[in-house]
Amino acid sequence: MADIFILCVEDEPEVLDVIVRDLSALEEFFPIEMAVSAEEAREIISEIEKQGDKIGLAICDHVMPGDKGVDLMIEMQKTDFTRRTRKVLLTGQAGLDATIEAVNHARLNRYIAKPWEPSKLLEIARDELTAYVIEQEKNLLPYMEALNAEKLQEEIRKRGSVSDY
Amino acid sequence: MRNKKNEFPAWIKTAVGLALGLTGFLIPLLVHFDGLSFAGHLTLGIFLIAASFWMLEPIPIYSTSMLVIFLQIVLLSSQGPLYNNASLTPATVQTVEGEAQQWLVPESAVRDGSVWLYQGTNRSERVAVEIIASADGFTRVQSETLGDGTSIVSDAGNRLVGYTPANYTTFLGTLANPIIILFLGGFMLAAAAVKYNLDKNLTSVLLKPFGSKPMFIILGLMLVTAVLSAFMSNTATTAMMMTVAIPIALQVSKEDKFRIMLALSIPIAANLGGMATPIGTPPNAIVISALNQQGLGIAFGTWMMIAVPLVIVLLMVAWGLMRILYPPTLTEFKLKLDSSFDRSIKAKFMYGVFALTVLLWVTEAQHGIPSGMVAFLPVMALTVSSVLEKEDIRNLPWEVLWLVAGGISLGLSMENTGLAVWLVSSISWDVLPQILLLLVFGFVALMLSNFLSNTVTATLLIPLAVSMATSGIAGEGFSLVISAVMIGMACNMAMLLPISTPPNAIAMSTGYIKTGDMVKIGSIIGILGLFIALFFAVFFWPLFLL
Repeated sequence: MADIFILCVEDEPEVLDVIVRDLSALEEFFPIEMAVSAEEAREIISEIEKQGDKIGLAICDHVMPGDKGVDLMIEMQKTDFTRRTRKVLLTGQAGLDATIEAVNHARLNRYIAKPWEPSKLLEIARDELTAYVIEQEKNLLPYMEALNAEKLQEEIRKRGSVSDY
Repeated sequence: MRNKKNEFPAWIKTAVGLALGLTGFLIPLLVHFDGLSFAGHLTLGIFLIAASFWMLEPIPIYSTSMLVIFLQIVLLSSQGPLYNNASLTPATVQTVEGEAQQWLVPESAVRDGSVWLYQGTNRSERVAVEIIASADGFTRVQSETLGDGTSIVSDAGNRLVGYTPANYTTFLGTLANPIIILFLGGFMLAAAAVKYNLDKNLTSVLLKPFGSKPMFIILGLMLVTAVLSAFMSNTATTAMMMTVAIPIALQVSKEDKFRIMLALSIPIAANLGGMATPIGTPPNAIVISALNQQGLGIAFGTWMMIAVPLVIVLLMVAWGLMRILYPPTLTEFKLKLDSSFDRSIKAKFMYGVFALTVLLWVTEAQHGIPSGMVAFLPVMALTVSSVLEKEDIRNLPWEVLWLVAGGISLGLSMENTGLAVWLVSSISWDVLPQILLLLVFGFVALMLSNFLSNTVTATLLIPLAVSMATSGIAGEGFSLVISAVMIGMACNMAMLLPISTPPNAIAMSTGYIKTGDMVKIGSIIGILGLFIALFFAVFFWPLFLL
C-alpha cells in the first residue's frame, strides 16, 4: 500500500520543528517530510513520486527566500501528481494579492494565520487528510484510527461499497 | 500505512493459493478415485480449485465464483466440449444357463462392482452387482435387479456414466435463483433506505427510549443494530451504527473500557442480527437454496420464528458478558439523536414499499406468495418510481450475488455428479447420534468461518449435509433442514478475529479495541452460541421445521 505523505515547507527551522511537533500524532500513519525551501520541496515531491507514494497534505509557508509558497502551490496544482494534494497556506505575512492568487490558482484548501494554536493545526491537518482519503482511497478502514472516524464511517455507509461475504 | 515491516508478503499467499488451486484442479484429472463418476472427478477438481481460491484468496472470492460457473458450463454442461457429442451405447444382458439371477455382461460394462442401467443416450442408473467370473470379454455377475434382456450401458468408462449432464442454462440460471432475487430485493431496499437516510433516522427514533445510562445505551445500540442488520447488510449496518457510537466514545477518555464495549457491541449485534431473516446475510441464502432444491422450502416467517429467539438470547448473553468484562465507569451520556425523516413524495413512497415488502415477507406462510416473488416488488417499485436511479443500481453489491450464485451452482454439481455423497461416504456417520452430528457440523462451520468468508463456509459444508441426508448415510433421524440451519447459524456466529467478518474489521479499525478483546468475547460467544443453538435445534426448531 502506498504511503500518504505530509509535506511541510517552511524556511525557518524552528517554526518547521513546531509544525512537525504539532502534527506528531499523525506521523505514525502519515510520514512527514520537511523542506526549507520551494526548491527542496520539489526534490522531495519527485522523490515521493518515484517511490510510488502519494502526498495527501502540503502545509506551506508563503514568505521564503527563492520561490514563494503560493508559487509552489500553484505549481503543485498544475501537476497531475500533486493536484489532489490538500493545500494549506500557513503564513503571517501573505498579502491580499498573494492570498487571492493562492485561492484562485492553487485551489487552496485552508489558510492558517501565524501564530496558530497547536491543536488547531492538528485538527485542520486531520480534516484535510480525511477529505483527501475520502476522495482518493478505496479502502478507508486503515485511516479510521488517525483521522475523523465518524466522517469516514459515514462515507463508507454512503458509498454502499461494503458488503457481507 | 507505515507498518509495512510486519506484513506477511502478500505475493507468497497469492502464489501458494494459485499453486494449491491448480494442483487441486489437476489431481482428479490424473488420478482415478474408485466409486466416483467421471463427472464427479471433474467436479472434485472444480471443488478443490474453488476451495483453495476461496481460502487463500489469490483472486477475490466473487471472481472465484465466476470461475466456478465458467468451469461448470465448459466441463459439466451438456453443451460443453466434453458432453455435446457423448452418448451411451446399450448392451443387452444375457442369461446364464442353469443359474438364476446370474447374467453375462460385457466386461467393459462393469466397474467398481457395478453396472449401469441404460435409460437413454445420456441417462443411466447404477446397480451394484456381485462379480462371479470373467472370461472372453464377458463377465458373469449376480444381481436381483437385472432381468432377461435388460439394457445396460456397454462401456462403464463412458464419461456419461453416473452423470446426466445439466444444461448450461442451469448453471447460468443460478444468478436468477429465487434466493438471489430475494437478496436483490433486500439490497435495493437497503440502498433506498441509505439514500433517503431512513436507516439513520430509524436509529435515532429507536434509540431514544433507551435513555442515557451506559448499559442501556449499549443494549439499545445492540438491539437496533440487530434489527437493521436483519434487513440490511451486516457491514453497512455496522458502518452506520459506528457514526452513532463514535461521538459517544469521544465523551470518555481513551483508557475507559466503555470504548471497548461500544466498539464491540455493534459488530457482535450486526453479525448476530444477520441470522434473523433469510436476507440478513449471504450464508442464509446458501442454506435456503440448498433446501429448496431438495423440495424443503423454509418460509421467510418460519426462518424468523426459529432464528429470532436465538438471536435475542445470544444478544443478551453478549450484553451480559460485556457488562462483566468491561464495567462502565461513567453513569450518564449525552446522546445526540435528531431525526429528520425525509418527507418528499419519493421518500414516502419508499417507506411504503419498504413496509409492504417486509410485511409480505414476514407473512409468507399465511398468504403463500414466495418471498422470492415478493422481492420483485421493491425491485420494480423502487426503479419505476426513480427512488433508485441508474447510479444507485450500479452501486448495488452485485459481487455478493455472484458469490452466492457460484456457491449454489457448485452445490448443484456436487449433488448431481455424486461427488458430495462420495466425499461423506468414507465415514460411517450413522454410528454418531444426531445431536453429535449437529455439534460436529456446527463446530466445523464455526471454526472455518472464523477464518474464511461465512458464505464460502456454508457453500463448502451445505452440500455435504445434503448428501448425507439424501444418501441415507447419516442414518435414521437425521434431519437435513435442522442440520443445514445449524450450519448456517454457526457460520454467522464466527466473530473471533478482525478477519472473521467485515463488521469486525470495521470495529477494529477504530483503534478502540485490541484483537485480544475480540478474541476473548468472540470465543465465548462462539462456543456458548453453538451449544445454545444446539439446544434450540433439539427442542425448539423441530416444532417449526419438522
